[in-house]
Amino acid sequence: MTNNPNVALSVKDLKTYFYTNSRCNKAVNGVSFEIEKGKTLCIVGESGCGKSVTASTIMQLLPKLSRIEQGEITYHSDAGDISIEELEPNGRKMRSIRGSEIAMIFQDPMTALNPVYTIGFQIGESLKYHTDLDRKQIRTKTIELLRNMGISLPEMRIDDYPHTFSGGMRQRAMIAMAMSCNPKILIADEPTTALDVTIQSQIFELMEKLKTDHGTAIMLITHDMGVVAELADNVAVMYMGNIVEAGTVDQVLRNPVHPYTRALLDSIPVLGMGKDQIIEPIPGSTPDPYNRPIGCQFAPRCSYAVDACDVMPDESYIDKTHRVMCWRYQELLPNAKK
Amino acid sequence: MLVYVIRRIFVLIPMLVVISFLVYLGLELTPGDAVSSLINPEVASRITPEQLQALRESYGLNDPFLVRYVIWLGNIFQGNFGHSLAGGVPIATIFLDRLPATLELSFVALLFSTIIGCILGTISALRRGSPTDNFLTVFGMLGVSVPEFLFGLSVMLIFALNLGWLPAGGRLMPGYETIWDRAPHIVLPAMVLSLMMTAGVMRYSRSSMLDALTRDFIITARSKGLPEWRINLLHGFRVALTPVVVLIGFRLPLLIGGSVIIEQVFQWPGIGNEFITAVRGSDYPLVMMIALFSVFAVLMASLIIDVLTALIDPRVRLN
Ligand SMILES: Nc1ncnc2c1ncn2[C@@H]1O[C@H](COP(=O)(O)OP(=O)(O)OP(=O)(O)O)[C@@H](O)[C@H]1O
Ligand SMILES: [Mg+2]
Repeated sequence: MTNNPNVALSVKDLKTYFYTNSRCNKAVNGVSFEIEKGKTLCIVGESGCGKSVTASTIMQLLPKLSRIEQGEITYHSDAGDISIEELEPNGRKMRSIRGSEIAMIFQDPMTALNPVYTIGFQIGESLKYHTDLDRKQIRTKTIELLRNMGISLPEMRIDDYPHTFSGGMRQRAMIAMAMSCNPKILIADEPTTALDVTIQSQIFELMEKLKTDHGTAIMLITHDMGVVAELADNVAVMYMGNIVEAGTVDQVLRNPVHPYTRALLDSIPVLGMGKDQIIEPIPGSTPDPYNRPIGCQFAPRCSYAVDACDVMPDESYIDKTHRVMCWRYQELLPNAKK
Repeated sequence: MLVYVIRRIFVLIPMLVVISFLVYLGLELTPGDAVSSLINPEVASRITPEQLQALRESYGLNDPFLVRYVIWLGNIFQGNFGHSLAGGVPIATIFLDRLPATLELSFVALLFSTIIGCILGTISALRRGSPTDNFLTVFGMLGVSVPEFLFGLSVMLIFALNLGWLPAGGRLMPGYETIWDRAPHIVLPAMVLSLMMTAGVMRYSRSSMLDALTRDFIITARSKGLPEWRINLLHGFRVALTPVVVLIGFRLPLLIGGSVIIEQVFQWPGIGNEFITAVRGSDYPLVMMIALFSVFAVLMASLIIDVLTALIDPRVRLN
């Protein structure tokens, strides 16, 4: 881990386990990454690999059945480092960080807003708790936020209820809410999955603008490799609770090393990568999270698997930014270039 | 909003017409014709058959059934509900006399059960699985299953007869009519009347609250860094409230029906008590009018609940 002063959040060997019916699901099983100011880290991976759990762990928004087993989440605030994992989940300190320093946007804007309160009320709540603004100033600020998010007639829409907003507008309102206190870090968990493509690109444009204007560090969870290619500065590929490969967007998309990354890229058509790409589904299916392989999680589906893969591989650094979790990465390196 | 209320009222009208028609049919089928119920029986006994016939004619009692029904309905709108067979008292007078007591009891019971039920249900949900929650669940089950008269007689025995803390019955003592003199009288009947409903509201608000707390917007609220009380009350409880209000609406008839038994047990001088007397004395006109009134009260209650729901839930307001 570097001592880069631009790092806004560093996560080190984080483990979050779920305990259901006295069985243990190691949903996040030792992940490390950093998010830099003014940069976007994209987290990609198949459904159920632990992306959302990683996000809620950082926000300390985990459900009751789960807990942080091990690891460090350090928020490098202006006032010094804060170890998030040591804070009481709903305690005063954590609450003062949530929404003001680290904010989150959720996947489904249809259900993420409370139906019985106006949009203005719900955005204003953040401002009420994290700023000294009075009622009137909050209203002015909320209108300004809505306008910045491209909502027309914000003076009128501020008093409307969520059900009168379209999905795209709701997500804009969600972003306005998340950005209301100028957070240092924005976590977006598949913010556009529920929206159509044109709205999608508008939302991403907004996020891009926030990143450049405010230097917000963004952690973007997505399934869409096109989005990754376009928005990401860094990429982390997750599989069954591990980050199997991470690096800059060029390193991971152009020179993928880990067999899973390659399989993943081959399984999804990538916009702008040409028409004649071969699309191949990843063989096999994700293992039962309660009954995981002992070693490398991907080994059962991996065509490069050898006996050594019965032991969990270490994280190996190919260079300063590019790392991979695979025993055979050196053999795979030469043919990495596509 | 106003349009919504007016539309709801228009929906009620056909229902009221149908029900009043059924009541009228009932009245027609009971022994003795409408003269005996419309005219003071004291007077009726002193007039000759010819006069009676003329009277019938003048009242339009020889008109076809439907015409008579319309006239009867018109009378009701003017506050002329006919006369009771017992003593020939105008039914309107009986209503004026007895209604305040029943409304007072129902209102207090409703208020009590709503507030206590919601509070207990919310506590139960927030402390899910705790001893408090388990205790309240058992209480809720008992509350729903114990018959009211049994519960009524037991609390009367304990609090009124053995402990002597509260009066055993009645509504007010002559000469003692301030609110403080009267309050002790209503405690026991209101408590018993609202027990079942409190238990129901409690169980329902518990599950409604639990449901609300699993919704996505709770996480959103938490992600904003709001304090837990605000998340639970402003976001959770506020959303959980809508179905509870609807439930209370559905239970309102229970309050009116239940008050018949409770009024009897506690000698509460309300409509319910009068109803029992009327049934015993085969006072059909009175029975029918009380029935009609109950239906009317239930329909009005449902209207009020609908309006309340619309006020609470912005999504209902529009369509
Ligand atoms: N509330 C929960 N209770 C029990 N297990 C959970 C819960 N939430 C997540 N999990 C488990 O944690 C693991 C990771 O889930 P997570 O939601 O992080 O996946 P994801 O990568 O976000 O997938 P998706 O792309 O579908 O959103 C899964 O095995 C899932 O079953
Ligand atoms: Mg997810």
